[in-house]
Amino acid sequence: MSDTTLPVSARPSHFRAATDETPTARRVMIGLAVGGLLLLVFAPLIAVFAEALARGWGAAIASLGNRDSLAAIRLTLTIAAISVPLNAAFGIAAAWFITKFDFRGKAFLITLIDLPFSVSPVVAGLCIVLMFGANSAIGGWLVANGYPIVFALPGIVLATMFVTFPFVARELIPVMIEQGRAEEEAALTLGASGWRTFWTVTVPNIKWALLYGVLLCNARAMGEFGAVAVVSGKIRGQTATMPITIEMLYNEYLSVAAFSLAAVLTLLALLTLLFKTLLERHVAGQIAANHRH
Amino acid sequence: MARPLIHRSPMPGLGLSAGITLTMLSLVVLLPIGALLLQGANFGLSNIWATVNRPRVWAALYLSFRLSLFAAIFNLVFGVLLAWVLVRYRFPGRRILDAAVDLPFALPTAVAGIALTALYAPNGVLGGFARDWLAPLGNLVFGPFGAQFTGKIAYTQLGIFIALVFVGLPFVTRTVQPVVEEIEREVEEASATLGASRAYTIRRVILPMLSPAALTGFALALARAVGEYGSVIFIAGNIPMLTEIAPLLIVIQLEEFNYDAAAAIGIAMLAISFAMLLAINLIQIWSRRRIGHV
Repeated sequence: MSDTTLPVSARPSHFRAATDETPTARRVMIGLAVGGLLLLVFAPLIAVFAEALARGWGAAIASLGNRDSLAAIRLTLTIAAISVPLNAAFGIAAAWFITKFDFRGKAFLITLIDLPFSVSPVVAGLCIVLMFGANSAIGGWLVANGYPIVFALPGIVLATMFVTFPFVARELIPVMIEQGRAEEEAALTLGASGWRTFWTVTVPNIKWALLYGVLLCNARAMGEFGAVAVVSGKIRGQTATMPITIEMLYNEYLSVAAFSLAAVLTLLALLTLLFKTLLERHVAGQIAANHRH
Repeated sequence: MARPLIHRSPMPGLGLSAGITLTMLSLVVLLPIGALLLQGANFGLSNIWATVNRPRVWAALYLSFRLSLFAAIFNLVFGVLLAWVLVRYRFPGRRILDAAVDLPFALPTAVAGIALTALYAPNGVLGGFARDWLAPLGNLVFGPFGAQFTGKIAYTQLGIFIALVFVGLPFVTRTVQPVVEEIEREVEEASATLGASRAYTIRRVILPMLSPAALTGFALALARAVGEYGSVIFIAGNIPMLTEIAPLLIVIQLEEFNYDAAAAIGIAMLAISFAMLLAINLIQIWSRRRIGHV
């Protein structure tokens, strides 16, 4: 009915700008994108919850309440609570050093900081074992004095820090390069102390990028598997993190328990994505600079 | 005059920030990697070669790098398509799709591993579908993967390929997206007014502009796939010579307390990945020079 009442559109229905694809090509491409993501991303997501709830909510929640799962959740939270702040401190220090001073070998230093991204997590774990294992000089001495690193909490923290090492620094460096040094220099000229300049001038400028980096770092720290699998020794209730416990439960065919614990980590991942999307939308300009390597 | 190591600056905190940076970098990254290289040096180059030069190790290295390359190529094509669709087209659900691209970054690899296995195992939803419907078709398409396609996905090389595609999915899309956003319509209009068809414009004008960013994403996806462990070991089946990836061999050697062999395979993996990244960097420099801008 609207066809007869509305004026004829200025653009005939078959009109197509020269810079547009044909409607068919467009539909095919959207279809491929949606279909690919449904199959690759959404299907596994649904599978986690479907498997966790295969025997109902009661069974899923009950399986989370057992001693090993609770110990794993506690351990993973502890590891994140230690390694994420340490990496955040490193990221801030490295970004300050790299962006506020001029020195030789700066590009090389940045390459070294990025190095963990091109090393397999398993090789990262191997490196920690070779450095601090009971067979090495340092590790042997530490074990003899009652401070084992490998197959204990410090080793897992070190392995986690290795794989998440560049996250915060990588987010901060581009933002601090773009901000320049003028604001800090002004604060110093006006007599502010170094720390006061840092807290009142630098931190407000970098807080969103810092939060963004910490968010990514935390997601990876809680979910790291390969590096932790090598150094943890997989002692039930003691050095088994959430991902390690998921593996052990899965290999024992305790499907509901494995997927319930996996569902907890999946919820955390979805929450991370939500925060990340919100952050990107609110401070689009500040963070967008980072993703233009 | 020689450049000073560090320029004098009125900025405070040089000692503190340099101290924290270098101490933590050394303790967490450099010394452990040094320990790996030292272990290798003590073991000796000929022993490293003897360790790597065994059929089972070769098979694992070849499998890891070959499937990673296939997965990265798939992600290169699909990632560019996805970036284009997400930036240029408006359709319902676009924002959810855009956010979902990052899921492989946020989801722990072990979770992805068991979820993909549950889906693609013969008794899973997609695994069952593949066995009943795709098997006849698949023999045509997946011939290059070697064995006859029986409809089995999990516990075969095809399963490893799917896991590697999953973990590398976001890299190309996320590096190409900002470049698509910056393409000026005028360039495409100019091409069209000069008589180029849309397909020709895409091939000769748009794709060359995207290629440096796409290659960066490709390299990142490749590096990630080669080292990937968590998402692969569940779906792989881990049959020696057939579906055993290189990182798993390191874990096996470590479980037998054979640190020398583990270090040898680790060093071989590091060497091959750095050689590949170097080659990709060179291609990138070449392609930037050929196109004339970033």
